[in-house]
Amino acid sequence: MEYVYSILVLVGLYTILASSFNLIIGFGGLISIAHPIFFALSAYVSALANLHLGVPIPLAILLGTLFAAVMSVALSLPSLRVSGDYLLIASIGFQLGFVEVIKNVEIAGAASGLTGIASMYSGEHRSLAFACTTLGIAAVVVWAVHRLTHGEYGRAIQAMRDDEECFASLGRSAMAIKITLFAVGSGLAGLAGALYAHYFQYLSPEQFGIIQSSLILTMVVVGGMGTTLGPVLGALLLIALPQAITFLNLPPSVMAPLQGMLYTGLVLVFLFVRPAGLAGKPIRQ
Amino acid sequence: MLDPQVLLQIGWTSVATSTCYVLFALAFALTLKVARVWNFAQAGIMGLAFYAMFAAMLKWGWPHAAGFAFGLGVAIAASVAIEIWGYRVLRRRHSSALLLFIFAIVVAEFIAYLLTLLFGTEPQSLTKSLVSEVYIVRGVAITSWDLKALGATVLACAALSAFMRFTRQGQFLSAVADNGELAELYGIGANRAYLVAMVIAATLVSVGIYFYGTRASMIPTAPLELMLLAVIATILGGIGSLPGAGIAAVGLALLQSSSILVIPSQWQGSLIYFVLFAVILFFPTGLRVPRWLAGLGMPR
Repeated sequence: MEYVYSILVLVGLYTILASSFNLIIGFGGLISIAHPIFFALSAYVSALANLHLGVPIPLAILLGTLFAAVMSVALSLPSLRVSGDYLLIASIGFQLGFVEVIKNVEIAGAASGLTGIASMYSGEHRSLAFACTTLGIAAVVVWAVHRLTHGEYGRAIQAMRDDEECFASLGRSAMAIKITLFAVGSGLAGLAGALYAHYFQYLSPEQFGIIQSSLILTMVVVGGMGTTLGPVLGALLLIALPQAITFLNLPPSVMAPLQGMLYTGLVLVFLFVRPAGLAGKPIRQ
Repeated sequence: MLDPQVLLQIGWTSVATSTCYVLFALAFALTLKVARVWNFAQAGIMGLAFYAMFAAMLKWGWPHAAGFAFGLGVAIAASVAIEIWGYRVLRRRHSSALLLFIFAIVVAEFIAYLLTLLFGTEPQSLTKSLVSEVYIVRGVAITSWDLKALGATVLACAALSAFMRFTRQGQFLSAVADNGELAELYGIGANRAYLVAMVIAATLVSVGIYFYGTRASMIPTAPLELMLLAVIATILGGIGSLPGAGIAAVGLALLQSSSILVIPSQWQGSLIYFVLFAVILFFPTGLRVPRWLAGLGMPR
């Protein structure tokens, strides 16, 4: 049962990640691949705050989440000042650059990773409790994203994404909406990261590399960009698929690139065959 | 005080090393200028060209010229496939810039994973030994690799400049870059121009990766990082300016090499990312290329 619970924890965490990324890329139309680095920054901040400063875990998780949101502003503010295109380029640098920085920071365990992170729950039913917590939080995040994108503010987001010039001519600030969306999305990724740290109790820079970017992007594109349920379907499918490959008992040197090819290959197939994703309405070509 | 001889050596080595970056930057800047796509798939093309050359030269024992031709062929074929079955289809469907971006970056990643599966993560180079013959000129060590790479890059730049300036096809590229719809009204095929730009970019990338692979070793994920330098050079040189991108690439290589004097070695890898932010923050529209240089041949 432990294995099933750990899969459920992953489904919950990746639902949070995919939904928050969908908020940025699908609803906001902002292209970034740096989502995993906010996941990582929060995981490290939360783990280190608890490990070295004795901050209680719930407070450390909150601290990590806020840190991720603040760091996202450091990325989005200078790049969005110019144009949306620059956000993608800056995000690639941000993602690769911070992974490189983490590899050199001794207090964060450097390249060999950070161990000894405290768990949020202990005892016999630790994994079950964690699965319930992450799935519960994931459900709240999906609901919150739905509320945010389908109310009055949601209409403003859609107007900003569809025609920015027209939106600005109405006296609304597109920049404010973009930065807010980016901060909220990245903060939620941070929340997933902090939960991840206190469940798996081990962090290493390799866990937050470019393969994570592909995975989260795949979940959103396959599920359906700009839909509420799409990322949930994407997370479920993409967590389940690799489990199937696991049973093939392939060596890690084959398994890792094969998974990467599966994720990116799926994105390519969906981009051309069903660009609206599983949950979106089919687009007539 | 720093020894002027050391500075001279760093300067020379930087200029020689920058040749590969200049070619990568020109390829990226050309596609962006003509087709208006941030062609991150170029990283995949770089990887394919390198590993095709590697397989031909080191696995099958082909001579270097034949290995290079094979790598070039693979790069051009992949570029044509990406343009025809990728970008062209997405353009025809009036796909958003977001989808074009996603397509380009995902193609680059897919190729990187494919190459990892086929060749592993062990660093590989195109020659058994990366050491080349050294000549000492006024105390500065100049290698035969430096001379070959510089010669090939100057030749490639001159050929590109002549192509863009003096051939009809080159002028068509400039026309499509300026205004694709207007160019089509005059009977210039925009799709053909995009394809030609992709083929030229693949050629430049193949020359660049050949020289890179005969000087340093490579892993399948390295092209994406190498691409970043090309992207920074393109922004810094001013989007749409080919000479600007080339000069910026030389400047970045100089900065990277001279940084060893002030930055500890373990932080060297992060430098390029800090430069990326500084460029986006302070020079988002690039630095101006002097008029005299812009008029030398390559249209801005």
